[in-house]
Amino acid sequence: MPDIWGIGAILSKLMLYVGVSGATGLLITRAVFADLVSPLADMMRSRIALMAGLALVGSVLSFMLRGAALTGGIDGMTDPEMLGLLWQTPVGDVLIYRAVGTTLMIAAVFIPFVGQWIALAGGMIALWSFCQIGHVPDLEFTGARLLLLLHLLGGAFWIGILVPLRALSQRPEYLSSAAMLGHRFGRLASVIVPALILAGLLMAWMLLGDVRALVATGYGQTLLIKLAFVGVVLSLAAANKLRFVPAMLSGDTKAAHHLVRSIEIEALILLVIFAATATLTSVLTLPN
Amino acid sequence: MKKLTTFALIAMLASQAFAHSNVDTTKPENGATVSEVPSEINFNFADDIRLTKVSMIHQEADSVTLDLGDHTSFGREFTLPIQSMGKGSYRIEWRGLGADGHAMRGEFTFTVD
Repeated sequence: MPDIWGIGAILSKLMLYVGVSGATGLLITRAVFADLVSPLADMMRSRIALMAGLALVGSVLSFMLRGAALTGGIDGMTDPEMLGLLWQTPVGDVLIYRAVGTTLMIAAVFIPFVGQWIALAGGMIALWSFCQIGHVPDLEFTGARLLLLLHLLGGAFWIGILVPLRALSQRPEYLSSAAMLGHRFGRLASVIVPALILAGLLMAWMLLGDVRALVATGYGQTLLIKLAFVGVVLSLAAANKLRFVPAMLSGDTKAAHHLVRSIEIEALILLVIFAATATLTSVLTLPN
Repeated sequence: MKKLTTFALIAMLASQAFAHSNVDTTKPENGATVSEVPSEINFNFADDIRLTKVSMIHQEADSVTLDLGDHTSFGREFTLPIQSMGKGSYRIEWRGLGADGHAMRGEFTFTVD
């Protein structure tokens, strides 16, 4: 078991992942499907700011908890020597990326016209921060960071679609918009999701290097748990695309109700996938 | 679904490979029995690390935090003086920062008999 600081590191990373992917995903969705999600403009703006705020808090907390992990006591969270030490490592660099990215998202999302593009740039900076440190960026392969960015972008887009799709599906007057949003995203997803999975599997292979490490190590076992839940979420997404969305396109309001429920379960599973990822990146050591 | 989710979270946290502890060798060796209390302990790490806290816990005495002295930079080998607490088992717990920013921790034990 990790100590209390290890568990704190996982939870703060979870906040960071949910916040960055949620905010950036909503920004991508707003840019790609502006015509369909316009009735939700106000709700999406405040949700983006909220998610970016969560990511900012998660980033700062994650940094301070590393200080506590260095001393083994809560005093480490504010110990200038420990925080100063961390500041000089890549951990300090990514804190800057994340603070700049999330602040840009919070400030720019309320600025009309050009604001959404500035906020999107903020989201990209925050996503890029994950490509600066960790197991994947440490790999001696130049494409590893790009693979990770592709993986993160695809994941963020997928997560970002869930909020507006659920909100539109809950309102019968927007049934056709919800159906069209699901349909158009479904078409994009048939390219994005395989790319997302392929990038994830390639990174896993580069990190583990051996199939036996999947079952023989804590890192591999946690990765297997993550993959199992990815399988479940893919089944739900397939049901949405092949069953509920086509039914909604033909005016079936019950299908919209099922889609809402399916999205809620999907969100819960995505949370477990994030928790597995946070465990992999925070406290587990790579099998050598 | 809730049960499955809870099981997955517990399974992840129950994993044994935590903490990025990559200490290579120690003196005394982990689990060793020695006849006299050594005047110093030694760590050898596989990668560069900056030690941030080292505690010594004796089975019948309080825990003491060891003075890191001049060890205020990254390195692979560290030697720290210790004070005798008599016979019995000693546990050395260490924490440190990897050059990549990872917080690390670990421990080793030895017995004076």
